[in-house]
Amino acid sequence: MAVERDTADSGFGEVSRIKGIAFRYLSFGASVIGILALAALLVYVFVDAFDLANASPEWLLTYFLTLVAPFIGFCLYSAGDRELLGRTVLALGGGLLGTAVAFEAIELLVRPIPRLTWPVAYLFVVAVPVVGYVLFAGAQKPVGRTGFGLLGRPVGGATLGTAVAMLFIVFDMRLWFLVYTLGIFPAGLVRAYGGLRGAGRLAGLSVPIGVVGVVAAAFLRNVIRTYPTSPLIFAWTFGVPIAFAAATLVGSRGASRESAAAVGVVSLVAAGLGTTLGSSALPDGSTVLVLAATVAPTATYLHRTVESGEGLSGLALPVLLGGGALAGAAIVGAFGIPAPDPWLDPGFVTEAPSRNAVEAGLYPAIVGSVIIIAIVALLSFVLGVGAAVFLEEYTADTGIVGGITRIIQINIANLAAVPSVVYGLLGLGLFANLLGFGFGTAVTASLTLSLLILPITVISAQEAIRSVPNDLRQASYGMGATRWQTTKNVVLPEALPGILTGTILALGRAIGETAPLIMIGAATTVFSAPNDVWSRFSAMPMQIFAWSDFPQAEFRYGVVAAGVVTLLIVLLSMNATAIIIRNKMERGT
Amino acid sequence: MSSGTEAPDLQRSSGIERIKETGYGGVFVACAAVTLLTTIAIFVTLLSDAFAFFMQVPATEFLFSTEWSPNPLGGGQVFGIVPLVIGTLTVTITAALIAIPIGTLTAIYLSEYATSRLRSILKPMLEVLAGIPTVVYGYFALVYVTPALQATLFPQMSTFNALSASLMVGIMTIPMVSSISEDAMSAVPDSLRQAGYGLGATKYEVSTGIVVPASLSGIASSYILAISRAIGETMIVVVAMGAQANMPDVQRAILGIPYIHPGDVLFDPGMTITVSMVQIAGSDLTGGTVPYDAMFALGLALFVVTLIMNVLSDLIAERYREEY
Repeated sequence: MAVERDTADSGFGEVSRIKGIAFRYLSFGASVIGILALAALLVYVFVDAFDLANASPEWLLTYFLTLVAPFIGFCLYSAGDRELLGRTVLALGGGLLGTAVAFEAIELLVRPIPRLTWPVAYLFVVAVPVVGYVLFAGAQKPVGRTGFGLLGRPVGGATLGTAVAMLFIVFDMRLWFLVYTLGIFPAGLVRAYGGLRGAGRLAGLSVPIGVVGVVAAAFLRNVIRTYPTSPLIFAWTFGVPIAFAAATLVGSRGASRESAAAVGVVSLVAAGLGTTLGSSALPDGSTVLVLAATVAPTATYLHRTVESGEGLSGLALPVLLGGGALAGAAIVGAFGIPAPDPWLDPGFVTEAPSRNAVEAGLYPAIVGSVIIIAIVALLSFVLGVGAAVFLEEYTADTGIVGGITRIIQINIANLAAVPSVVYGLLGLGLFANLLGFGFGTAVTASLTLSLLILPITVISAQEAIRSVPNDLRQASYGMGATRWQTTKNVVLPEALPGILTGTILALGRAIGETAPLIMIGAATTVFSAPNDVWSRFSAMPMQIFAWSDFPQAEFRYGVVAAGVVTLLIVLLSMNATAIIIRNKMERGT
Repeated sequence: MSSGTEAPDLQRSSGIERIKETGYGGVFVACAAVTLLTTIAIFVTLLSDAFAFFMQVPATEFLFSTEWSPNPLGGGQVFGIVPLVIGTLTVTITAALIAIPIGTLTAIYLSEYATSRLRSILKPMLEVLAGIPTVVYGYFALVYVTPALQATLFPQMSTFNALSASLMVGIMTIPMVSSISEDAMSAVPDSLRQAGYGLGATKYEVSTGIVVPASLSGIASSYILAISRAIGETMIVVVAMGAQANMPDVQRAILGIPYIHPGDVLFDPGMTITVSMVQIAGSDLTGGTVPYDAMFALGLALFVVTLIMNVLSDLIAERYREEY
């Protein structure tokens, strides 16, 4: 006892404790300072893109009450946690007081904060994190899961449908019609028939049939002169298969024939409605595809939810949000509350760039990005998975092959660290000049970006393949399967979610890359969407780069901010998709 | 049990199956070969045009001339890499001064202090820092950071300057330092920490006196990788730093020791190697001209430097790794 008191009295422990505490907080500060700096910049860019600096407190309050508060209520109801409710109310209320006082104090004592008011600060500092937190808590429970699932299906389906429709701005719709009719459709038919009859040999014929059909389509493209109208092509090649797939999916869940047929019919009718609607921004008739892609997953999901009867009240979420938005708009209109004029509005994503800030839009750049990313996705997925399968499944660890493998492995690690601008030089020298694919064409850009993200896709695919348990391989070999059969039937299906996650994350990197595009001569600004893959095009980051050169304030603080937010939203949704796929996989195993 | 499943399937070893097997193997080898071919293609592309460049411009001028003017305006074309190197060094050093201390402290906090729950929140958020497109960082630097710095700390700063670009490069490279360093620190066995506590050390002493020295090789290799990333960074500096290849005034301190005042390089526009490449690409792409070839010479310099740094980082991590 005496000894212990001695050390306590000497003050020796005190000194080192202070040092330790100081160090602890210093290192904590270091870990959040970068995040906070980025968060502050993001707040500013969002404020600029949505013109929130000019949002009156009444406007913010109206939408907070009609839209945000019901949403928080829904999440809390789903979470069903009294303690969480208390904490949320405390955070929202205390945060209101805290933000207002802190904000006014800074304005008074230090200096005015430009382009921010305390309600906007409250929105970002308190409301957004609280909403994120309750959303996370609510999504864990059936009600919330149902609600967000129901919201996610149409949004995801519409986005995917729109992206696919955009591809037909560049790719030949009639060729696609022939490829589908002569190759994909018969091959799918044979495969399905073989699967039903248990005739493996017949199903194996599907690949040669498909190849023959695709080759025939390429030959016949210029021979055949008359084609169906484009809405019909979209309905036949996308509307019917999507409706059929939805019906099959419902049927495979053990539902009755009638309900499966109902889901299929609903999807078909929705697709049919698309023939009557037109859209200026998308190819003629592609609304068929967008509507089918929106309605089919929604109908399937609705059917499953109603069937399982779990979290049914979650289905009210879209009504809640839609009603909230309408009510907010009605109140704003009725009382004449001045509303902000956001730069990021529907016109921004559907119009071409312009010298005039108000009319400027991102549409051609979005189309360019979508096309590049589609080709990059295909190329880097095939190459990345192929290389990863070789490195993980086919190669040996010893001997000459082992040596070569090690070299390839080191090489991939080094390629991942080569600056992107050097890849741009590779694209310029090799694809644009030597092979003559043209400056700034979608082909050159896609090839360059595919090589750029190839190391990342290979490394992530390798990790996914490596995480497949070895027992599965041994079991497959034990049953007499060859290496390819084991890879195709056991390893790849098991590793697919991991591979997809890695590929999507890598594509996120590709969509934001600018330097290689500049080096290969991509246009900074094009005023119409490209007509084919050999024409010069722009991409979202290129357009942002071009606009950031404009000295006018409307561009600096308006148009570019809207472009940046669009790019960030695209990136965020890609990463969210990757995370959702990963979580599903983790839950599955 | 039908008899069909019990009979061994001898079809598998038939000729067609074997051909199929070899064929697919060949496809995978080809995919893996693409990665090797990429490296070879980079080397060949860069070397061939860089060779053409050095046929026309002497290497001594490239390495030692203090003027960079690829587009002749009045005078002749001069290709001296020195001002570009100074610009690149300015950005790299400033960014390293931000990323290295912050990244190291972050790694220590994540590996030694943070609860696993906090770590699972902080780590993805830090990864976001590296995931934001660099052109967006450049826009932030130009439109938000520079005006903020002008209004508060440095009124003499020009619209395009090296400082705000470097700040953003620094923030972007924080996760590179922190994640690799943290991996190295987490690999330090717990027995070492327990031994430290047993000797009466505090958590601070264990962290800085045991964990950091034990993982020094990993930390050093993370620094080198981050610096290599900062050297190759393009869009942030293109957007925010302007494009003037300036030579800063060399001033004389007491005893005539030459030095460069940081304000001269940080507050003014500058040009890095990457910026000059982008600038040439914006004007001249058809090939065959000297500036076009100069672009590849610069690319070669960049490629070689980053390659050496990556290999060095690997070597350090391998050679000096403490084996437990």
